[in-house]
Amino acid sequence: MMLIAGTVPIRDMPLTMGKVTFDGDYLVAGRGKIPCTQGTGAMVSAALATTSYLGLDAPYALLVGDIGEGKGSRELYQYLINHIAGLSPNVLALHYWLPNMAQTRQLCKAIEKCLKRPVMIADAASMYSAKAAGLAEKFDIFTPDATEIAFLADPEATHPAYIARHLFETDISRTPELAQVAYENHGAARLLLVKGATDYVIRGGEVLATITEPDVPALESIGGTGDTITGLVSALVYAEMEPHEAAIIAARANRMAGKYGRVTPATKVREVVAQFPSVFKDYLCQWSNICDIKGEN
Amino acid sequence: MTFLKKQNKVKFEGGGLVLFDDVQHAMLTEKALKSAGYIVKLVAPPPELRKGCDLAVEINLVEQPGIERVLREKDMAYISIDPIRIKTSPLLEVVKVTDFGEWIMVKAGNMKITYEKASGIIVNVSGGGCPDIPYLHAQLLDKRLDEAPRPKDLGFTLCALNLDRAFDECLTMYSGGNET
Repeated sequence: MMLIAGTVPIRDMPLTMGKVTFDGDYLVAGRGKIPCTQGTGAMVSAALATTSYLGLDAPYALLVGDIGEGKGSRELYQYLINHIAGLSPNVLALHYWLPNMAQTRQLCKAIEKCLKRPVMIADAASMYSAKAAGLAEKFDIFTPDATEIAFLADPEATHPAYIARHLFETDISRTPELAQVAYENHGAARLLLVKGATDYVIRGGEVLATITEPDVPALESIGGTGDTITGLVSALVYAEMEPHEAAIIAARANRMAGKYGRVTPATKVREVVAQFPSVFKDYLCQWSNICDIKGEN
Repeated sequence: MTFLKKQNKVKFEGGGLVLFDDVQHAMLTEKALKSAGYIVKLVAPPPELRKGCDLAVEINLVEQPGIERVLREKDMAYISIDPIRIKTSPLLEVVKVTDFGEWIMVKAGNMKITYEKASGIIVNVSGGGCPDIPYLHAQLLDKRLDEAPRPKDLGFTLCALNLDRAFDECLTMYSGGNET
């Protein structure tokens, strides 16, 4: 089982969990119906596009409405803390929520009771809370962008709004240096996929790969294209790829989807997600040697 | 013999402090924030942070903008809100601008807004990780900068505050101000 947990911007939507399906332009999970827009919706959409292509079980999504007030986020944390051992997913991907250090600590403790430790992936504010609580090393993959790698490197910051100015003003080419600092300060997961003009895959401070092609600068401005990378890498890990291979392919696939979609800064993320099946059909075998596909390809 | 199982009490870890001149304001603020739905705690500030009295309200620092709004609306007096970690840098105020030809992208911290130069229409909001960002994305998209709601008025978190800095810069540029 692959489980994605995150908030959605629908006030008062109750906590719900279920296997995800597409319903036209919407995603359905349990009693929740959400659009494929920036945030958890984009991440789930990318994961579902990948599992559908590969013929794998669809991801489960644990969703709750929260527009920033925090109540939904606290319920989500608590549900995971209470039920994660029983669910024992193979992959647990955590996404948007109001970061809460104490509940993150409780969650990491609860995960130790799983029959088999899940592969743990965090993006967005679940990554912020893991780092702020000093629990980054409990995670297998973080997917920061260029600003967020500066946040991971700043030992004092508990949110990217408070990172040191000299770290924010660095460019993406200094990512390896910042990642090294993040690892020294115990602020990084085992593997980092740093999203930017150059994507970096870094393990334990060592740069394993850089991805620069195709170069589609407009992707940075499209809300949700960082979320889709996290959805892709989560689904590829669920397909039993090694985390670093999954990260490299996720970065390539996201860029290629941008190229296929001829994106501009005004493109919406669902138009990028729509390109993933074509990208996989044309490149997945070449990139991964996964050529015998049983899914919707 | 009966053994009583000791319950593990979860310690609140907020990361931020509201500082006050006097104890009374600290207690009133704690009550006001709790009634507004925030989880907060009365604490003694560390000596390095103490500015007024020896009582402070610990908050989840990420919720700073929403808490400041509640305190403003309720006319509650306080000195400042500060991160508990004393070496934390000040709030980041620098922005970066990228020109895409027909569009401009402005980045403040972890948040980005992109608008069409000719019309001022917001075409994308990206970055961030707090739950108000997808909500703000939906509220801002396809609206003209000078008609769109301010992220700081609708948002609750530091991500929203960064987004508002980017928004402010976009508005200045669209209105003919100088680029940063």
